[in-house]
Amino acid sequence: MPTSGAKLLQGTLDMLILNALSLGPLHGYGIGQRIMQMSEDALRVEEGSLYPALYRIEQHGWITAEWGVSENNLRAKFYKLTRAGRKQLQIEEENWERLAGAVFKVMQTN
Amino acid sequence: MFWLRLIYSRLYGLLRKNRIEQEMDDEMRFHLLMRTRENIERGMRPDEAEREARRRFGNVGRIKDLARDIKGGGFMETLLQDLRYGARMLMRNPGFTLIAVITLALGIGANTAIFSVVDAVLLKALPVNEPDTLALFEWQAGSSFRTNGASGASYVPGPPGTKGDSRFRSDIFEKLRAQAQATDSPLSDLFAFAAVSGVTAVTSNQAETVNGQAVSGGYYAGLRVRPVLGRAITDEDDKPGAAPVVVLSHQFWQERFDANPAVIGQPLKLNRQFFTIVGVTPPAFNGALQVGYRPAVTLPLACGPLLRGEDAATAKADEPDWSLYLMGRLKPGATYEQARDSLNGAFQAAALAVMPPPGKVNEPAQLDPKEYPRLLAQSGSLGMQDMRRRYSPTIYGLFIVVALVLLIACANLANLLLARATSRSAEISVRLAVGAGRWRLMRQLLTESALLAALGGAVGILFALWGDSALLALTDKDTGVLPEGVDLSLNWRVLAFTLSVSLLTGALFGLAPAWRATRPDLATALKQSRRTTGAVSRLGKGLIVAQVALSLLLLIGAGLFIRTLYNLQRVNLGFNQENLLLFRLQPKQGGYKGERLLQFYQRLFARLDNLPGVRAATFERIPLIAHDNSFADILLPGETEQTAAEHNTARQTARENYFATMEIPLLRGRGFTAQDDQRAPKVAIVNQTFARKFFPDDDSLGKRITVIYTKREVEIVGVVADTKYESQRMEIKPLLYTPWLQEGDMIGTMHFALRTTGEPTALADTVRQVVRELDSNLPVTEITTQLARSQATLGQERLSARLLSFFSGLALVLAGIGLAGVLAWSVSQRTNEIGIRMALGAQVADVLRLVVWQGMKLVLLGLAVGAAGGYVLQRMLASKSFAPASWEAQKANQLYGVTLTDPMTSIVIALLLVLVGLLACWIPARRATKVDPMVALRAE
Repeated sequence: MPTSGAKLLQGTLDMLILNALSLGPLHGYGIGQRIMQMSEDALRVEEGSLYPALYRIEQHGWITAEWGVSENNLRAKFYKLTRAGRKQLQIEEENWERLAGAVFKVMQTN
Repeated sequence: MFWLRLIYSRLYGLLRKNRIEQEMDDEMRFHLLMRTRENIERGMRPDEAEREARRRFGNVGRIKDLARDIKGGGFMETLLQDLRYGARMLMRNPGFTLIAVITLALGIGANTAIFSVVDAVLLKALPVNEPDTLALFEWQAGSSFRTNGASGASYVPGPPGTKGDSRFRSDIFEKLRAQAQATDSPLSDLFAFAAVSGVTAVTSNQAETVNGQAVSGGYYAGLRVRPVLGRAITDEDDKPGAAPVVVLSHQFWQERFDANPAVIGQPLKLNRQFFTIVGVTPPAFNGALQVGYRPAVTLPLACGPLLRGEDAATAKADEPDWSLYLMGRLKPGATYEQARDSLNGAFQAAALAVMPPPGKVNEPAQLDPKEYPRLLAQSGSLGMQDMRRRYSPTIYGLFIVVALVLLIACANLANLLLARATSRSAEISVRLAVGAGRWRLMRQLLTESALLAALGGAVGILFALWGDSALLALTDKDTGVLPEGVDLSLNWRVLAFTLSVSLLTGALFGLAPAWRATRPDLATALKQSRRTTGAVSRLGKGLIVAQVALSLLLLIGAGLFIRTLYNLQRVNLGFNQENLLLFRLQPKQGGYKGERLLQFYQRLFARLDNLPGVRAATFERIPLIAHDNSFADILLPGETEQTAAEHNTARQTARENYFATMEIPLLRGRGFTAQDDQRAPKVAIVNQTFARKFFPDDDSLGKRITVIYTKREVEIVGVVADTKYESQRMEIKPLLYTPWLQEGDMIGTMHFALRTTGEPTALADTVRQVVRELDSNLPVTEITTQLARSQATLGQERLSARLLSFFSGLALVLAGIGLAGVLAWSVSQRTNEIGIRMALGAQVADVLRLVVWQGMKLVLLGLAVGAAGGYVLQRMLASKSFAPASWEAQKANQLYGVTLTDPMTSIVIALLLVLVGLLACWIPARRATKVDPMVALRAE
C-alpha cells in the first residue's frame, strides 16, 4: 500500500525504535545507541526526532514507560514493548519489505 | 492557621511544574548526562563535553514543545506556553491586533453599556435585608370591575378582558393588615406606601420642591431597614391625631442639613405644616418605589391629609383613591402563593364592598364571579414593577441592536482569522504530520482568539464607562428610556457579563478558523507554494453577506427613527411656541385656597402683566406638549348618567387672555372675559374636534353640557382651532376649556406662560423675584421655554434615533472594514494571477472591475438577503400570534409618519450600502492595479 512522504519517514523511525526494543527494555539514550550499533554507525537518530517519536509511539500504546535505575546507578525512564507493539513491529516490517522491493524493481528497470 | 497553610500549599502545587513536565525534564537531563559522559570517554574536556552534548541535543525547548503537542503536558505549562505563543503572534502583527481589539472593544463595550442599564433598571434588588422574602402584591379583575380614583396607566399585565393595578385603597389595606396579623398567617409583616411628589420643603429659609413618600407604620420594620440616626416610623406614628413626624433620606440629610446629627427633634416645614424630624435612613436606601424615585422625606400615612392642608382632627381616615402599594414579609418557609391565598378572601370581599354603583348604562349591577378581583403575589426583591415593565421593551430592543453589532464585529474577526490561518497552514500541517494532536493545536489557536477577546473586553469596559456617562447625559426625565436618578456604576454582575460575553465572542470567532486550519489535509498543505488561490472560502463569503444584511436592517431602522423624529418636530402644534417662558406654581400646597387663592393670582398677574419684556401673561392648568393630561366624562344635552353612553373629553382651565396669548385662533363665538367669574353663568369653550365629534350636524354654540365629576353644567360660548395637547404624536382629542375664575377649587397648581419680546430665559430670574416678593415660601418650579419643553417631550424619539444611528453606523463601518479586509487579503494572494492577466493584456479598468465585482457580488447578495429577512421579520411582528400585544403596540407606536416598509427609506439605505460597498472595494482594487506583472510573475 503506498504511503505519503511524511508518513514514510515517520514510520521508518518508529519501526527502528520498536525493533530496538524487541530485544528488551531500554531508556531513550540507550535506544539511540542501539540503533547506531545495529546499523554499524550508519543511522544516527537525532534527539530532536527520537523523543517526539517515543512519545508518539507511547500514545499509540505500542510501548510503555517505567522509571528505573540505569547501569551506572542513575534514575532513568525505561521503555518496553507491549504485545500490541510486537504486532505493530511485524506490520511495519512487512510494509517496509514490500516498499523496498517495489523501489528496487523500479530502479532495476532503468 | 491551618486553612492558610492549606490554601498556600494548594496554590503552590498549581504553580509548580506538573509531574509530566518534571518527568520530561528528568529524562532529557539523563540523556544529556549520558552524552556528556560518552564525550569525556572519547577524550574531550568536561566543559567541552557538556557543550557538545547540549549542541547535539538541539533546542530542548522545541523538543519539549513537540513533546507537549503529543503528550499533552501539564495544564499550567501548556496554558502559559499557549499564552506566550499567542501574545508573540499578536505582537508580530500589530496592525491586525489593533484593528481586532478596537473592533471587539466597540462591540463588547456597547453590549456592556446597555447591560449595565438592564442591570440598574431591571435587575438590581432592593438594598434591604433578605430581599427574597419580600412579597409584592397586585390585583387583577375583569374589566367590568369598577374603581373610582385610580388614575394613570397600569402596567400589570393580564389576559385581554382584564384590568390590573398595583395600587390599593387604604381601607382595603387596613382589612388585609388585620388578616395578616393572624397567628397562622404566612406573613410576618404587611405594609403600604405611596409616592408623594412635589412636596414643598423649607430648609434654611429656602423653599424647594422635593419628592416624598407616605408609609404605614410597619414599613421600616417590614423592610428591616435600620436608621443610621434617630428612629424609624412606627405604628404609633401612623395613628390619626399622632404628632407629625418625618424621616429624612441620607442624601437629603447630607445636602440640606450638612449631615448634622443634631437634626433629630428639629422641626421641618412641609407644605406649610411642621413635622418633627425623628430619623435618617442609611445611604443606599431609597425606598421600594419605582426605580429611580428617591424620596427625600418619608412620613406616616396618617399625616397625608396634613400635607394636603386638611385639619388633622377632621382628616378622613380612609382614602377613596387606589393609591397605596402593598408589600409583605414572608415568614421563613412560606411561599408567595400561601401569602396570596391567605389574603385573597379578605381582599375580594373588601374590594367588592367598595365597588361604586353602576354609573353608565352598560355597567352590570352585579359582577360575574369570574370577574371578581383577585390578589396576585410575587417576589418583592426588586421593588415596584410598573416602571420596569414600561421601560423593558425599549431596553431589550436596544440590547438586541447592540448584540447584532457585536455579531458583525465577530464576523469580521472570524474572516480575518480565517485569512491568517490559511497563511499559517504550512506550519500547522508540519506539526500535524509530526504527530501533534489536532485538539491540542486547536486549543493553541483558540488561546490566541481568547487573548484577543480578553483584550477587547478590557478595552470594551473602558468604552462602556464612557458610553454610560454619555447615555446618562443624554437622558432626562422625559426620554422614557432611563428613569431619572438611575445609578449606572460597574458592579460584579456587569463585570461577569462582560467576561462571559468576551469569552463567548472569542469562541465564536475563533472556533471556525481553528477548526478549518487544523483539518488534516496534509497533501495540499505541504505544497511548496505558499500562495493559495486567493479564493475566499464559502464561510468567509457567507460572513460578509450576513454582515451586509444585518447592517441593512439596522440602518433602515435608524432611518425610520430619524424620519419619525423629523416628522414629529415639524408637527403643527396649533399654537405659537416661540418666545414663551413657562413655569409652575403650587399655591395650594402653600396653604392658599378659596378667595385667598384667587386674590393671589390676581396680584401676581398684576405684576406679571406689567413686567418689561413681557407682552402677555397667562396660565393653564395642564401644560401643553408635556405628557400631561386631564380627562373628564361629560353628558350631552338631554342625557342622564344612567342613559348615557360614554363621552369623554380632554380638559383645560385657563385665563381669559389664553387664546390670544397662545395665538390659538377663535373660530366661532367669543373667548373668555374677566366677567366670566364665580357669580356669572358657567361657560365653556371647545375645540373644533369637540364640536365635530359631539355636535356634527349642529352648531355647538349655546349647547349645555354637564361635567359628571363636578356635576356642573356649562354653556358652550365659543369654538377655537385644534391644538396638540399631550404631545406632538398623540392624535387631537376633543378639548373642553373652562375659565379659571369658575374653577376655584381646581386651580391649586397652575402652569404659567409668558409671551416675551426677547429671549424668554432672560426673564427667569425676574419672575422668581416677583414671586418671592409676593410669597417667599412659594417655590417657582419647572422654569423652561415652550420650545425646550416640546423638544424634551420628544426625548425618547431623539434618543432612539441617536442611539440607533450610532450603532447602525458602527455596524456599517465594521462591515465595510470587513469587506475591505477580505478583499485586500484576496488580492494579496492573487498577485500571481493578476500579474498574468496584466501580462496577457488586461487593462487597469479590467483589473478594477475584477476586484470590485468580486466584492460587490457579496454586497448585492447581502442586500437581497437583508431585504428578505426584513420582510419575514415584519410579517412576524405583524402577526399577533408571535409578538406579545404590548410589544407589538410599542413597535407600531414608535414610528410617526412612516411605515415599517417605507420604500423610500429602504431604497435610500440600500443605495448608501452600495456606495459604502464600492468604497470598500475600491481601496483593494486600486492596490491590485499597482501590481507589476514582472515582479508578480517572478516572485513565487
